[in-house]
Amino acid sequence: MVIFVILGIPLLLALGSLLIRNKDFSGFINCFGYFIALCASVILFRKIILVGHIQTLFNLIYLDILSSVFIVIISVVAFAAALYSVGYIKKDIEQRIISEKKARFYYLLFNLFCFSMFCVPAMNHLGMLWVAIEMTTLISAFLVGFYNSKESVEAAWKYIIICSVGIIFALLGTILFSYVFSNSGLSKSLNWSDMAPVAHILDKNILKVAFIFILVGYGTKAGLAPMHTWLPDAHSQAVAPISALLSGVLLKTAIYAILRFGIIIIKSGELLYFMHLMIIFGVISLIISSGFILVQKDLKRLLAYSSIEHIGIISIGFGLGSPLAIAAAILHIFNHAVTKSLMFFGAGNIVRAYKKHNMNAISGVIKVLPFTGIIIFLGMFALTGFPPFSIFISELMIIIAAFNKGAYFIAVLLLIFLGVVFGGFIYHFSKILFGNLPKGMVKQGEPLSGKLAFLFLFSLICGLGVVLIFKNKDLIWLAQRLLQG
Amino acid sequence: MQGIILFVFLVSTYLMVIAKRIPALISSFRYQSLCLAAITIIIALTQHEPYLYIIAGLLFALKVSLIPYILYRIIRKINVNEDLGLFVNPQLSMLWALAFTYLSWVFASFLVGTNNAMLTITLAIAFFVVLSGIFLMIFRMTALSQIIGLLVMENGIFLLASTVSGGMPFFVEIAIFFDVLVSVLIMGFFIYRINKLFTHIDVNKLSRLKG
Repeated sequence: MVIFVILGIPLLLALGSLLIRNKDFSGFINCFGYFIALCASVILFRKIILVGHIQTLFNLIYLDILSSVFIVIISVVAFAAALYSVGYIKKDIEQRIISEKKARFYYLLFNLFCFSMFCVPAMNHLGMLWVAIEMTTLISAFLVGFYNSKESVEAAWKYIIICSVGIIFALLGTILFSYVFSNSGLSKSLNWSDMAPVAHILDKNILKVAFIFILVGYGTKAGLAPMHTWLPDAHSQAVAPISALLSGVLLKTAIYAILRFGIIIIKSGELLYFMHLMIIFGVISLIISSGFILVQKDLKRLLAYSSIEHIGIISIGFGLGSPLAIAAAILHIFNHAVTKSLMFFGAGNIVRAYKKHNMNAISGVIKVLPFTGIIIFLGMFALTGFPPFSIFISELMIIIAAFNKGAYFIAVLLLIFLGVVFGGFIYHFSKILFGNLPKGMVKQGEPLSGKLAFLFLFSLICGLGVVLIFKNKDLIWLAQRLLQG
Repeated sequence: MQGIILFVFLVSTYLMVIAKRIPALISSFRYQSLCLAAITIIIALTQHEPYLYIIAGLLFALKVSLIPYILYRIIRKINVNEDLGLFVNPQLSMLWALAFTYLSWVFASFLVGTNNAMLTITLAIAFFVVLSGIFLMIFRMTALSQIIGLLVMENGIFLLASTVSGGMPFFVEIAIFFDVLVSVLIMGFFIYRINKLFTHIDVNKLSRLKG
């Protein structure tokens, strides 16, 4: 029943954003709603760990540990983004960048976007999963093109076209899966709960072809290179809280879809095939993104390429296939979502203050925005995998898993490119954080809600970094359960 | 009967690949969708699935009537040059299309074998239509032809779904239809915006974002 609370809250809030005229109140009610959704998702997670899985609403909704983990991740980032939006949108209205009517439109889209993302992990039918992912694209296209400038409309167009093509490939793959299933003499169904138990008797050859389509299709949405070209454009042009949602969770919902099909492939006995494909795409993403990170000039595009890098690391983690690596990859999904949202919020504040994306024109952030500056400074270390932050733990686990498996080449590759990315980040961020102020810049105040969002995310990053060292056995247990079904 | 309709379906796709102007592209798309509706009715007759009639009706309402109407309306409203701006001329495009046809045949016979000729042919045509949709999206320069390319790909997938697995469950099918309609509306909306901001809809010239 908790799932209906989680799915209902964004819908109610969307309705509320149309009705409520007072902008302060609508921002507050948004935060409150997502706080409840966050609590509900944690309750759901605890319940599912005990029960195993839940099926309700005429088999339309199916939840197991994998989906509940993703629901928790979505609700964490959605809550932080709702908090941050309050101050951000208020300032946009004050500076007359958008009208109050458009702000209401923003909250409507924000809530619908969150609703569609919550739908993705909850769906049982693989066709409905496709529909939910396509809905996320269609709704967020408006949020990418929100400011209606030439750049943002161009980014929105590329986003909607490239992702739609990608997702059509995913539909092709989904239909091939259903063909295999109906060929095996069982009843015609694409429900995950029906397919997973009988995966071992399905025709492997067609499954393999179908999985390529799935991986290319959903991989486009996940931002795996070389299908990533929409990602830097969309992430750099979207409204700052939406950039965080796009990078933090939207990419992960596509990873979730790949995993659902991947589990069927693994259960049909093609573990190696799955592993190889994931590792190949992961390594390509890592290499391409680290190159772009080094030569990047635009602050938000830098963070977008870093998302591609982390998606690559996650994909390698799943590709390694051992319980330790899977646990690390799931953990990395969470850590990346939290850390990258933090960085995008910070970048949003910086871009707001300097009115520029170009990093050559930004310097002395720590003097202009002291709070944001310090958080970004720490966040940079967190993002590039420094202890005691949480990404360090998950990256370390993946590298250890690679060594354990004897995949030395991959482990060394990971270490090298993590080093390259670290160098790039230090170079770019030391330039913008420190140094002299550009002419005419003065110290500026920051809204309280933004600070709260920073603190919430930052406490998660630090907290997990410390707690996880003592909890790794639970994690591995969780990963084993994930793989079983 | 099914063979003849499939043949018309194939021919209409060839017509789209060699079309030089946007209205020709849209009218070929109309024929293609009409064939798809006819095939769905035939499947409904042979398999005695009453809900497939509704799907055929929806196909007719959306892809034969409403979506072409929306596309024509966009052309009228933005009053844009009707040339498609071909990257690849019609003759060469036709050669590409023939190559795609052969490739799809090879792929289809790899997937299901050649025992059931009708199934293999249908599958090959479906893959071919998907491929030519991609071709239209990449090698034609206007934003409108990208929408049509997407719709063509969807038609191919639809043919695949209705022949290979006997269609998806009803509510999923409806949801996918709704999705297609919404995506066309949203893309149309963005075409208006692109036209307003850039005064053209030439996607090739959208190159402000780089690196």
